[in-house]
Amino acid sequence: MERSLGELKPGERACVERINGGGALRRRMMDMGIVPGVELEVVRCAPMGGPLQIRLKGYYLAMRRGECAKIVVSGEQHKAIEHTLASR
Amino acid sequence: MKIALVGNPNVGKSTVFNALTGSNQQVGNWAGKTVERKAGTIHRDNLEIELVDLPGTYSLTAYTQEEIVTRQYILREKPDVVMAMVDASNIERNLYLVLQILELAPRVVIGLNMMDLAKSSGISLNAAELTKALNVSVVEIVAAKGVGIDKFLAEAVRVGLLKKDPLVRQVPYPSELEEKIQAMENLLKDISWASQYPLRWLALKRLERDPEIGQEWQSVSAPESSKDKKRETCCDSGDALNYKLKNIIELPGNDLLQSYEEEGWTKDHFEMAFADAKYNYISQILPRFLIQEDLRKPSLTDSLDRWILSPIWGYPVMILVLALVFWASFIASAPLGEAVSQGMAWAADFLVSLLQWIQAPAFLTSLVRDGIFAGVGAVLAFVPQIAIFFAFFSFLQDSGYLARAAFLGDRLMQLMGLHGKSFFSLVSSFGCNVPGIMATRTLEDPKDRLITMLLNPLIPCVPRLGVMSAVVAAFFPGTRGAMIMLSLLLISMLLVMISALFMRKVVDQKERSAFVMELPLYHLPTLRNVLWPTWHKTYTFLKRAWTFILAASIVVWLLSSFPQGVPMNSTWAGKMGEWLEFIGKPLGFDWKIMVAIIFGFTAKETTLSTLGILYGVAADASQSIAQAMTGAMSPLRAYTFLVVYMLYIPCLASVVTTYKESGSLRWTAFGIAYNLILSFIIGWIIFHGGQAMGFQ
Ligand SMILES: Nc1nc2c(ncn2[C@@H]2O[C@H](COP(=O)(O)OP(=O)(O)OP(=O)(O)O)[C@@H](O)[C@H]2O)c(=O)[nH]1
Ligand SMILES: [Mg+2]
Repeated sequence: MERSLGELKPGERACVERINGGGALRRRMMDMGIVPGVELEVVRCAPMGGPLQIRLKGYYLAMRRGECAKIVVSGEQHKAIEHTLASR
Repeated sequence: MKIALVGNPNVGKSTVFNALTGSNQQVGNWAGKTVERKAGTIHRDNLEIELVDLPGTYSLTAYTQEEIVTRQYILREKPDVVMAMVDASNIERNLYLVLQILELAPRVVIGLNMMDLAKSSGISLNAAELTKALNVSVVEIVAAKGVGIDKFLAEAVRVGLLKKDPLVRQVPYPSELEEKIQAMENLLKDISWASQYPLRWLALKRLERDPEIGQEWQSVSAPESSKDKKRETCCDSGDALNYKLKNIIELPGNDLLQSYEEEGWTKDHFEMAFADAKYNYISQILPRFLIQEDLRKPSLTDSLDRWILSPIWGYPVMILVLALVFWASFIASAPLGEAVSQGMAWAADFLVSLLQWIQAPAFLTSLVRDGIFAGVGAVLAFVPQIAIFFAFFSFLQDSGYLARAAFLGDRLMQLMGLHGKSFFSLVSSFGCNVPGIMATRTLEDPKDRLITMLLNPLIPCVPRLGVMSAVVAAFFPGTRGAMIMLSLLLISMLLVMISALFMRKVVDQKERSAFVMELPLYHLPTLRNVLWPTWHKTYTFLKRAWTFILAASIVVWLLSSFPQGVPMNSTWAGKMGEWLEFIGKPLGFDWKIMVAIIFGFTAKETTLSTLGILYGVAADASQSIAQAMTGAMSPLRAYTFLVVYMLYIPCLASVVTTYKESGSLRWTAFGIAYNLILSFIIGWIIFHGGQAMGFQ
């Protein structure tokens, strides 16, 4: 099931499928570790359409909804990449 | 030996730099504080080491201004050793940059910083295993506590003195990619230009079509001497270096690139594939040196964020924090300021009686009392405010709260059409507009950058706030003062919002800005990180008071005392004011205020010292400016003055910085004109609106 990251609810996890659109923004995300296969968790959303707090690779990111809409994720992943995800 | 500190943003590079060189680079817990390179010299074992602190970057494919500074330094200055700093609590992403560095620079030492944070979040790292995995020396450090820093440097020096470049383990690329890389390597290996960089790195970059490959650059030293900068600004802006394109070399491989592109291997595809390979490699080697305990209990950051970032509680907490900072620095500090004023008055009286006792000429007595003490004294009275403000500010910066405030405030920034990182620039401007303008370098889009740059002057910096609170305290004593101060801050915020929308139109920005920002873990700020910047800021301010403000005070005193024996408004200052009066008239300003405003162009505190002198001289007795001014102005006029003072051009230094950062005379002039016209219009509305509503 494919969704965009922005559609996840707080507490939900999903795996990055691909990043739509190219150029600087995609590269930036790549540099921050958002590459296909990585597991993301939406921690919370700021109210009134504010940014999302996301956890990946054991650290936190804030991202606007516009950017989140470009990240396509697929349902929960059960593969064992647990060690890379701080379960803090 | 040239050693460079490189790493992701916010990993503690400047902390290490400060510890090793005794400098005062800005340190704080959010990404993107350092925006310009800064060099310092260290002597170790008969070696002179030039250590360079660089802006943090997530990768060596740079796009924002401050990342470009780092990239250019590594590529064009070729440091002998790179001290690659890594955040141990976030090692997986950090290693991505390290792998890039290893491909480019042969001599690297890894500093595993924040070992304390890693431990408290249940991560245990085995440095020896990491060394083995990458074949690079690794030093564990806790920079904030000074642990391991010396060892880190010693290790870097050792690697720098090695006879031969150490062999680093290479990132394994999938075979399909490896073939392509090798094909490119074969084409490049005989080119003499290529010998200055590692072949593999060059081939990768050529496949990514990096524009800099094949270019030769020459450094041209920055036009203005660094001494100059230090005098005029209250903040050190680093050691900028400019480059000029010298030569472009035609490299082979265009046909190869062409044929790859036809197979679908575009520049983007290559970039993605290389990044993928690196991340894969990292997750392969990670289990060898990292053990993640499965901690059930949430970390400190999690528990704090539950409140601080809460959709419901987040905003009340933020308002409370801001209120506390401004209340403590500009209202609760009043008795301290008063005490300084008292002290200055006593000192003045003492000196004057001393001068009279030795029968010094009258003009000298007047210079001391009405010039120096009235002027410099007025400015010194808000030293406590500056100190308190910076103590709070540094605490917030170093704790990690600022990034949270940016998260919560981002909705508002979006409404204004601003980039999320503009928040940091605007907040820095409360300290001083110069670093605020410099901080716009972290914005990718040049138009976003320009908009934020032009908005910065509307944020009142601490010296401005200090002057304002001094005037407020004189005219509106008690709780009324707090309300007036609050209203002024609200006016400034409102104008920032309206101006942001206006600037978007003017600059013709249609893009919706992106915002991807790291939320760092909270730290307990160290005493050094709070007290040292506080002291430094206060000290620079004091220094300016006894150099620049002193000189300005003497000039103003001269202008307002000569020709001697004539009434005040026929002195030179009076004449000058007379010409300017027509501008001030619609706002209800008399000539003294106009003169003070003009002098405020040089540095904003000068306005207060000038007012002190002009009103003090008129009163012909040593009374506080508060008393002198309240006698001469109605509260409405004072309020109008406060608003205009807050909004018109910040100061010379900020104008110069805007010019340097925007590189455009036109936009700088536009910014000045905008501020002047805006302040005039708002002042007019307040003055006449207030009169119509029956205020005086
Ligand atoms: N807990 C902990 N905090 C540290 C350590 N080293 C540095 N810090 C803190 O980490 C934060 C970032 O440090 P900086 O030195 O400003 O980082 P930087 O790498 O120069 O950051 P940029 O200039 O933004 O790239 C500051 O709040 C430091 O006090 C450490 O070993 N442990
Ligand atoms: Mg730094």
